[in-house]
Amino acid sequence: MAALALLASGCSESKSQASPECRDVMTGACAAPTTCPQSWKAGWQRLANRLHTTVYCPTWMPSPIDAKIGGQWDNGISVEKDHSYLVSFLWHEPPSQDVHVNFRGYPGRTKIPRCEDVEVVGGKVRRTTMPCFSDPHGKRRLGGITATMYTVNRGVDQWHILYAWHDHGSLYAVSEHVIKPLTYAKVVSNLDRMVRGLVRVKPAT
Amino acid sequence: MKLTRKQLLVGGAAGAALGAAGIYELVDKLADSPPSDAVAARLPEQHLVDGMRVEKQEGVEVVVPLRHHEVVTARVVAPRGQLLDARASLAAVLAKLDADFSSTPDGLGLTVAWGLPYFQNHVPAAAGVHLPFDRRARKPALFDAVRFPSDPDDTLLEDNDVAFLFRSDNEENIRAAATEIADRMKGALAVTSIRKGFAGQMDGGKGLPKEMATAAGVPGADLIPDGSELFLGFTSTQRNTLGPRRIVNFETLGLVDLGPRSYFHGGTHMHLSHIFEDLEAWYLNQDFRDRVNTAFRPRLPVRPGTQTVPQPPSRASSESDVRRDYDRFGAIGHSSSLQPASRLQQDVRGSDGTLYAKGTAIPQRADFNTLDNPFFWSADPKRDRMGEEPAAGLHFVVFNPTSDDFHRNRLAMDGVMPGGEKLVFAPRAAGQGFNSILRTTHRQNFLVPPRRHRSFPLVELKS
Repeated sequence: MAALALLASGCSESKSQASPECRDVMTGACAAPTTCPQSWKAGWQRLANRLHTTVYCPTWMPSPIDAKIGGQWDNGISVEKDHSYLVSFLWHEPPSQDVHVNFRGYPGRTKIPRCEDVEVVGGKVRRTTMPCFSDPHGKRRLGGITATMYTVNRGVDQWHILYAWHDHGSLYAVSEHVIKPLTYAKVVSNLDRMVRGLVRVKPAT
Repeated sequence: MKLTRKQLLVGGAAGAALGAAGIYELVDKLADSPPSDAVAARLPEQHLVDGMRVEKQEGVEVVVPLRHHEVVTARVVAPRGQLLDARASLAAVLAKLDADFSSTPDGLGLTVAWGLPYFQNHVPAAAGVHLPFDRRARKPALFDAVRFPSDPDDTLLEDNDVAFLFRSDNEENIRAAATEIADRMKGALAVTSIRKGFAGQMDGGKGLPKEMATAAGVPGADLIPDGSELFLGFTSTQRNTLGPRRIVNFETLGLVDLGPRSYFHGGTHMHLSHIFEDLEAWYLNQDFRDRVNTAFRPRLPVRPGTQTVPQPPSRASSESDVRRDYDRFGAIGHSSSLQPASRLQQDVRGSDGTLYAKGTAIPQRADFNTLDNPFFWSADPKRDRMGEEPAAGLHFVVFNPTSDDFHRNRLAMDGVMPGGEKLVFAPRAAGQGFNSILRTTHRQNFLVPPRRHRSFPLVELKS
């Protein structure tokens, strides 16, 4: 219930742990952040160093989750051989309420990856591949990022709305699950705010 | 505009619910009704509405659906000895409504359909003689609905005696007619359910389905394409996918033996069901290409964003086309799988003299979107599992020549071909057309008598 109460709050949630950049903002309006929040930075810096590539650190997350890698809401990191990565944060309230955000990066490539779909039809296993992000719904200019919104996404981004953009020859994406207690409109608003607040974390030399 | 619960649902007695519009009042606030210049006329058939507009959408001829729809179901509660009086009363009120409203979009389309329980319980002897018989199926033309392979185990098979289908571009006409019938038939009919809904008229803007679903806060509503006729984003009423006017009459295609006096000549069969639609799953898990594959046919070439996909008779799928898609893609499209059962497989000269060409559609659909959960009002909310929140769905109304003809169509949608071959799918599998996002809650088959026998059919022959 406590989590639900947090979710029901408006901009005041900016003052919760989910959005450390707003702690000092007395007006209720959040100032545009310029750096990765101190308590989250170490994890994102380690990731950038490990991949030898720039990653994007959020400065705001939808309540109740935060973006502290290794923290309470960390849902795992996976890094593939090609250095593409997935960083996931999840709050789950049984039976079926989630706040689930995924951050992705595909260093050195801009093409949308393909996902495999496996179905059993008439006793035969059928494997097909399809774009992992599809049904583009226009571009959005958010801070310094021009992102394309995709409404149909595969794999761990299924049921998510996803924003993807290119930066220096790499593809990046952030997605959030459309599921109670969130509506589509709230997820879009959350993604707008998350992407607007993203800051680059470069690998330390 | 967000609606309050009070605006969404109207509880209480059937009479109050018949006179209330609830959320559907919004339909007229969201769309202007164009005037109809159709001429009023009384057809022998009850299921036809005159003066339907036909417009071109994306280069395809589309029959513009009526904006407001309502179905009222009821049980006959008149004592056995008073059925003739009840018949006279209903006939009188129907005649008055015929006089008050033209049978056109701006007037009122009113269809009275009778369920098997009525014939079995109130006029069994006469029904045994006069109910039409399906020669092809070797079964009565009207039999009980069944749960189809993709239906949930808890789909309710209903046992209403009668259903009144009201259609109009003017909601006030429906309200007046439904209230008048209910008032006049007190003591003879007991209302069991009221079902309401709407269809978009593709007249610009966001479109009624999207506006209504968004106002109701239905999950997935924001993703409905602007301007679409129905929640699922494709135009369903193109001329080529609806049967020509008299093709579903019992007598037209020669499927039916009408019995010694052809009592039901000019009548037809109606199936009524309610289906929940999972809009979020449809729009978040299936991209446009998937939705075309699912709604029409795998790999059908369609320009992205198209809502009205041409389906001319010449491109109707055969059983072998469907089988080929199944073998190649492990999937069958909704329209494609239906067509071997729902389209004529050869030219047929109808009893009305019309030559119906191979590939012509037979069923006349009158389905409409709804936010009922599952009904606007129910006399038995527990049995009907009435929910409090609005829910995206469809009241599926379709006219076919017989129950068996409808069942053939519906089975084809589940991969059971008219020739009996079964394309194996798990229930509601992704490859099985729309089924993965649909959940049917209620079903019933009805017989639609011709206009002259629409009031308590066969009662006058009882003695």
